[in-house]
Amino acid sequence: MTSPTRPLSPTSLATLKAIANNVRHGFDIMDATGLPSGTVYPVLGRLERAGLVRSHWEAATVARREKRPPRRYYEITAAGVRALTLSMEHYRTLGSRRGPLPAPRRT
Amino acid sequence: MSSSPGLPPRSWSRAAERTFSHCLGLVRCIAPIVPAARRSAWVAEWTGELWYRLASLDRAGTLDARACASVLARTLGTLPHALWIRCADWSIDMLMHDLRYAVRVNAKRPAFSLLVIAILAVGIGATSAMFSIVNSVVLEPLPYPQASRLVRASNANRYGNQGAISRGDFLDYQSRNQVFSSFAAYTFFGSAVLSGTAEPERVTAPMVTANFFSTLGVQPVLGRAFSPQEEDGQHQVAILSYGLWQRRFGGDAHVVGRTITVDGKPTAIVGVMPAVLERTFDGRLWLPADMHAPGMETNRHEHAYYAIGRLRPGVTLARARAALGPISAQLAAAYPLDHGTHLYIQPYRDVVVGHAAPVLAVLLGAVGLVLLIACANVASLMLARGTARESEIAVRTALGASRSVLVRGLMTESLLLGAAAGGAGLVLAYLLVRGVRAVAGGMLPRAAEVHIDGRALLFTLGITLLTTLAFGLAPALHAARRSLATAMRTMGRSSGSRRSLRVRDALVVGQVALSLVLLAGAGLLLRSLSRVRQVDPGFDASHLLTAQIPLPAARYATRESADLFWTQLLQRVRALPGVTAAAGTGHLPLRGVGDAMYYEEGHPPLSLADARLAELNVVTDGYFHAMRIPIITGRPLGETERRMDGVPAAGTDSVKGDEVEGAVVISRHIAQELFPHQNPLGRRLVIGSQHAEVVGVAGDVHGRGQAVAADDMLYLSLHQRRSFLPLSLVVRARGDASALAPAIRNVLHQLDPTVPLAEVTTMDGLLHDSLADTYFRTQLLGGFAFMALVLAVVGLYGVLAYTVRQRAREIGVRMALGARSTAIVSSVVRRGMLLVGTGIALGLAGALAVTRLIGGLLFDVGSTDPVVLAAVTATLLVAGLAACTVPAWRAMRIDPVIALREE
Repeated sequence: MTSPTRPLSPTSLATLKAIANNVRHGFDIMDATGLPSGTVYPVLGRLERAGLVRSHWEAATVARREKRPPRRYYEITAAGVRALTLSMEHYRTLGSRRGPLPAPRRT
Repeated sequence: MSSSPGLPPRSWSRAAERTFSHCLGLVRCIAPIVPAARRSAWVAEWTGELWYRLASLDRAGTLDARACASVLARTLGTLPHALWIRCADWSIDMLMHDLRYAVRVNAKRPAFSLLVIAILAVGIGATSAMFSIVNSVVLEPLPYPQASRLVRASNANRYGNQGAISRGDFLDYQSRNQVFSSFAAYTFFGSAVLSGTAEPERVTAPMVTANFFSTLGVQPVLGRAFSPQEEDGQHQVAILSYGLWQRRFGGDAHVVGRTITVDGKPTAIVGVMPAVLERTFDGRLWLPADMHAPGMETNRHEHAYYAIGRLRPGVTLARARAALGPISAQLAAAYPLDHGTHLYIQPYRDVVVGHAAPVLAVLLGAVGLVLLIACANVASLMLARGTARESEIAVRTALGASRSVLVRGLMTESLLLGAAAGGAGLVLAYLLVRGVRAVAGGMLPRAAEVHIDGRALLFTLGITLLTTLAFGLAPALHAARRSLATAMRTMGRSSGSRRSLRVRDALVVGQVALSLVLLAGAGLLLRSLSRVRQVDPGFDASHLLTAQIPLPAARYATRESADLFWTQLLQRVRALPGVTAAAGTGHLPLRGVGDAMYYEEGHPPLSLADARLAELNVVTDGYFHAMRIPIITGRPLGETERRMDGVPAAGTDSVKGDEVEGAVVISRHIAQELFPHQNPLGRRLVIGSQHAEVVGVAGDVHGRGQAVAADDMLYLSLHQRRSFLPLSLVVRARGDASALAPAIRNVLHQLDPTVPLAEVTTMDGLLHDSLADTYFRTQLLGGFAFMALVLAVVGLYGVLAYTVRQRAREIGVRMALGARSTAIVSSVVRRGMLLVGTGIALGLAGALAVTRLIGGLLFDVGSTDPVVLAAVTATLLVAGLAACTVPAWRAMRIDPVIALREE
């Protein structure tokens, strides 16, 4: 598990923040963060392995009702919330010293 | 978990359908990268997202070409995603887990692990050591700056024999060429007696031109090199080699400027050269060349020097040859009697290592075969272990271990064994290299430089990895390939598959075939060696002591003083108890010879190219008796040739002006060539500028070793030579020849304490030394072949023992039904000998193809010698039969009751 004293990388932070904002599916996270799929999915894997997010399959009934395959969704854990707070604080103080963090690129 | 993705609904547009199908195709293509355990979930996640996104876009009516391309581009992210999962799967934790498991598995069967490590370590160690030798001797450049630009120039006759260049020619080449930035000369032979400070000592002392050291790019560690003014033959100066400086002068930092006695003359030391020079030159003391001594600049008949040149940057060897060819031709046209030769230029590296390179290549190939056999052997053992571990693997498969996990685990076990073997092999290689450095001094060029360097370490690492792949991968794949159902079915029974057995059979056949190739090579070298040793050298080498007696030139400046010394020395030595004969000779057989041009008086050759060359030896009376060289007709040189104080002795000798006329004994071959079916006695020869009458014909002598054809020999009496040459002493003893050395040294000391007794050895020792490199390669190849044989026999034994264990039930049933034990034994032996026979057949075909490579190393033996091939075939058959006996005996002793109960 990631030590709560260590701030997350910018891509992990952007991804985690998107999940905290209730953006829960892979493609939606890409939309929210502007990160490419080849970055988002490994980041999701790392965050899950670190216990900061967990993933579930949506209920089969929902998928069946909508006549589509089920989607996997991600949600933030309590450890994830702590890591997010710590990292946001870290980058904020860093930003006050060096200027604001560059806004994520949107595609 | 997800359901499998279905087809897109009919409500989708064609664009959405097409994009979905392309994206899904890509996902499925990349899916195999993802570990099997996570693959279906991975595919489902991507399918779900793609479906949802395309359906949303399609519903909103925004699925244009750009949107399709964007979705497709996102799908490309499956590759980094899949790779990440695969790498995350191989995390350090997993690897450590594999490693721990591998250690446990290998430690649980220590005997098996040690056997595998030992077999591989021998293969890897021998290969690494051999590569280190090849690397140090052949691949590494000579220890001089930009050594690839150094070339040697020598004269070569039409037979390709190389010889020295005259001073006049050298100076012409030096001044007229445009291809060398520096062109220097050195004498190949040359020795001097050091005396004064300590016990007199003979040392090698080549003469070199002033630019010799700068051509090589070597700077003196003390003092200076020679100056061009010192090439006048008058300056008494010398440069010490590093070794001589350390040994005789204790590394004295103030040695430059000291005066030592060289050949009886006071000589000033002007410099000390670095040790690196001794790696390629046998010089202990360096003396200045006499290029510009009076009359020498135009001397074209004394061929005394070899030239070494440094090519200008950008000049190739071919261009240098093309540039010097015309100069050589002009010199030959201008001085026809001195030139039967042309200038031959070759890389200096070839001069140093040329003859060793093909031998080393053969030995490296041979040791590579040993490594291959070792790999096959270990692969066979691993297959057997894989069969024994079938139940374990079946359980792991049943618990969900994928094939890749199994292969990875098994390969980690192999890698662990390979790493241990590599480490042990490196230690073995270090010991072997140290041994070679210690013993191969006279047999291998640059032997002192042999070491294990970064390149050799890299080579060892490479072959260790390759070896591990070779012996580990096939058994690992094989073990993981078996279906779970088959494995579970055979659980608890050591049945093994037919396929595994077939692979092991093939490995044994391969080992037998490869070892036959090696045995054939070693056998050919051995037979060649025995043929060489059977060659009669032309003299009796037993009970013969030899020693060099270098008389200091200053003390024995006149021929008469040297004559007197030798007469007294021989008288006193002959009087020693235990001595049956003694004589002096200019050239000991096997210790270098001197060329002389000769022709029958009245029939001079038109040019040097037409001249006959023979080895000229100057001997004292009693030489033929002492050496037991037979006199076929006429008489040996003896007291009649004595001519003291300028007065001719009785007989045919006389003095005409400055030239001494005398008697010559010719070898049988010369007599047959020059005077076929005629009596050679009384015929007159011109030898160089000297006239002599043939008084006898002696038997042929192999003066350059038994493997080389007998030389044409001319023998002149010491007393007839105008100039004095340093002689060697030969003493025939009644018993042990070497025991005479102290007494002879005592006699010499009484006669003149300044004269050293150098290089005391027996003629038997010289004969042995002359074959040292032949012994070296025969022993090495023999050793490799023996290793191969042992490995092949062990491999065969392993397979047969395993088969008998496997067939225990069947054998038990047969015995219970009344089969005779001889039938059981013969079935085991038949199977073993079938494998051996197949291996022999393949090996013979291989040997016929491969032994041609060593044809150049053989003497009087064809590379497909049937005796050798028959002998190695018989050896393998006997060894194979021996390997069959224990398994056959075990099969015979199988108790039917126990065998059946086990099932």
